Amino acid sequence: MTLNGEPTTAAVTAANVRRTYRLAEPVHAVDGISLSLGDGSFTAVMGPSGSGKSTLMNLIGCLDTPTAGRVTVSGEAIGALSDAERARLRGTEIGFVFQTFNLMPRLTAAENVTLPLVFHDAVEASRHERAEQLLERVGLGDRLEHTPSELSGGQRQRVAIARALANDPTLVLADEPTGNLDTETGAEVMDLFAELNRAGTTILLVSHERQVAEYADHIVHLVDGYLEEIEHLGAPRDVAVGHQALTATQPSDEEVQTDP
Amino acid sequence: MNLRESLRISWRSIRSHKLRSTLTTIGVIIGIAAVITFMVLGGGFTESVVGDIEAEQEPVMTVQTQTEPEAGVGIMLVETPIYTERDVEALEAIDDVEFVAPDGSLELAQTDLGDEQVTGVIGAQATTADRFEHSTFVEGEPFEGEDEAVINEQTSQLFDDNVSAGDELSLTFEDGETADVTVSGVVEAELGEQTPPQLFVPVDSYYTTTVETPRGEETRAYPSLVVGTERIDDVDPAQEAVTEYLEDDSDAAELKQDDHEMQAQTVEDTIEQFTDIVDQLTVFIGAVAAIALVVGSIGIANIMIVSVTERTRQIGIMKAVGATKRDVMQLFLVESVILGVIGSIVGVAAGLGAGYLGVWLLEWPMAYPLDWVVIAIVVGIGVGVVSGLYPAWRGARVDPIEALRHE
Ligand SMILES: Nc1ncnc2c1ncn2[C@@H]1O[C@H](COP(=O)(O)OP(=O)(O)OP(=O)(O)O)[C@@H](O)[C@H]1O
Ligand SMILES: [Mg+2]
Repeated sequence: MTLNGEPTTAAVTAANVRRTYRLAEPVHAVDGISLSLGDGSFTAVMGPSGSGKSTLMNLIGCLDTPTAGRVTVSGEAIGALSDAERARLRGTEIGFVFQTFNLMPRLTAAENVTLPLVFHDAVEASRHERAEQLLERVGLGDRLEHTPSELSGGQRQRVAIARALANDPTLVLADEPTGNLDTETGAEVMDLFAELNRAGTTILLVSHERQVAEYADHIVHLVDGYLEEIEHLGAPRDVAVGHQALTATQPSDEEVQTDP
Repeated sequence: MNLRESLRISWRSIRSHKLRSTLTTIGVIIGIAAVITFMVLGGGFTESVVGDIEAEQEPVMTVQTQTEPEAGVGIMLVETPIYTERDVEALEAIDDVEFVAPDGSLELAQTDLGDEQVTGVIGAQATTADRFEHSTFVEGEPFEGEDEAVINEQTSQLFDDNVSAGDELSLTFEDGETADVTVSGVVEAELGEQTPPQLFVPVDSYYTTTVETPRGEETRAYPSLVVGTERIDDVDPAQEAVTEYLEDDSDAAELKQDDHEMQAQTVEDTIEQFTDIVDQLTVFIGAVAAIALVVGSIGIANIMIVSVTERTRQIGIMKAVGATKRDVMQLFLVESVILGVIGSIVGVAAGLGAGYLGVWLLEWPMAYPLDWVVIAIVVGIGVGVVSGLYPAWRGARVDPIEALRHE
C-alpha cells in the first residue's frame, strides 16, 4: 500500500508469522506478527527479555523458518526456499550485526569484512579493495590488518558493520549492537547506523535502551511474542524511502497491513 | 565457494594448530613410511640378488636341506651333513647329470697371506674340481693338487694386495689344524654383490665329516651338493630325476629330520624363492601399515571432530554471512584431506629416507618404488576423505542460531 499516495516497495514483509518451539509445552517465541519494512526504513524493536525479539530477527534474517505464516525478503518467500537458497539470500540481501560482534578471531579486519564475499567467489584482488573502502567508511581505514583481539569493542563492532555491508545488502539486521559497548561508543556506532540509513540502507535493530531505539524512525514493541504497539517518531525524513506500513491488530490473515 | 578458497582457509586453520596437526598426521606418516621403507629395501634386495643371478644362467642346481623357521616368514637352510658318498655316486649315474660336486663346509678360523691376516669371514668349502665346470675364472684354473685352493673375487679383495693365482695362503681351522695352500685360480662371484667371500679346497684332503648310514657303514656326508648338467636344457629333466632319487632311494631321505625338506634348486628356483619371501613380507608389512593407517584415520577423524566442536561459533558466523552446508562441508573435508596428503607426503619422504639409509648400509642398490609412492598419495587422500566425512557432515549440520548463541 502507499503512504502519501506514492507506491513504495517493501524490503521485508511478515504476515501472521509464528515460531513455536516444541518443548514439554509448545513455546510461541513469536506469536502471529505481521509487519512490513519499507525500502530504506530504519526500525527498532523493543521489548522485555524473552519477548521474541531475537527470534523475529532470525526469521527475517533467513536463519530460521517460521512455523506458520509467511516472511518475504526482497520479494522472496523464505519458507519456500531450500537451505542453500536461504544461505544465498543471507549472503546477498542481508547483513548481520550482533551484540557479541561475532568476528572470526583469526582473520584480520579486512578479511573479516570480505568473509561474505568468499562464499560468492568474488575475485580476491577486488575483495581487498572492497575491504579498504568499507573500513574507511566506518572510520577504520588504518586498522585493515588488525585481528579482532587487537581492536577495541567499538572498533570490533564497526568491523562487523563493515562486514554487514560487504555484499551491498538491502537489509541490515542488528541484534543489540550496542549491548556490549559503553554509552559513548554505543552512540558512535548508532551514528554510523543513522548514516548508513541516510545512504539508503534498510535497518532493523533490536535494543533494550530507549535512547538507542530513538535513532530509528519507528519503534516496534513486542510483548510475549505479540506485536504490542508501533510507535512513529516524528516525521519520516524522506518520504520516498520512508517507512511504509505496520500494524498490530491480531490475529490477522492479511499479508501487509496499512498505516492507520 | 571455489576449491582454491577453501584450500587457503583450511591450510590456514591447519597452520594455526601446528603441533596438533603434526601429531595428528603421525599415524599416517608411520603407516606410509613403513610401506615405502620396506618397498625400497625389498626392491634393493631383490635387485642386488636377482639382478646379478639372472645375468648369467649356469646349468647347475644345488641340492640342499631347508626348513621353515619356527617364528617369522621365509626359509632357513639346514647345515646337517646328510648327503652321503653313495648319494653322490647315485646322482652322478643319472643320465642328464654331468657332475656332482660335494659342498662340505669347513670351519676356517684364520687366513694368512704373508703378513696379512683375515679372521673368520671367509667361508671354506671342501669340493671337487668338477664344481668349477661352469664357473668363470677371472684368472687361473681349478685346483689339481691336494694343496691347492680356488678363491672367489670377494675373498681376493679382502686382502690389501688382492690375492691372485700363485699366491700362498696359510689356513688355520677352528680345530687347530693348519694347512698351506697355493691359489690355483680366482672365480667370479656367483651371486654378484651378495656373494660371501669363499675359498674352495679339494674334498679328499680336507673334509673328514662322516655319518653312519642306515646300513650301518660310516661314510663321508655333505650338507649340500652342486649338481651340474652339460647344457641349460638338461637342467629340468635332471632336476626331476635328482628329486625323484632323493625322495625314493637316497641315504639323505633316511638321515634327514622329519620337518626338513630336501631341495634340488636351480638358479631360477632360487630367484623364485627370494621373490616369494619378499612377497610374503610385503603382505605382512602391508597388514602392519593398514593398521597404522586405520589408527591414523581415527586420529584425523578425532581431531576433526574436536575442531568442528571448537569452531561451532565460527561455523555459525560463516553460515550467517552466506556459507551453505556444502561450503562448510568442503572446508572441513579439504582440511582433513590436506592432513592425509601431508601425512602421506611426509611418510613417503621418511620412507625413502629410511630406505635409502638401509640400502646404503647394506650396500644394496637404491630402488624407487614409484608405483607405491603413487599408491601412498592416493591412500593419503582416501584417508583424508574417509576420516573427514563424518566431522564435515557434523559441521555442515550446525544450526547457526544455536552456534551464535553458544559462547
Ligand atoms: N531454541 C529454543 N528452544 C526453546 N525455546 C526457545 C529457543 N530459543 C528461544 N526460545 C524461547 O523463545 C522466547 C523468545 O526468545 P528470544 O531469544 O527471541 O527473546 P529476546 O526477546 O531476544 O530476549 P533477550 O532480550 O533476552 O535477548 C523465549 O521465551 C525463549 O525461551
Ligand atoms: Mg535476544
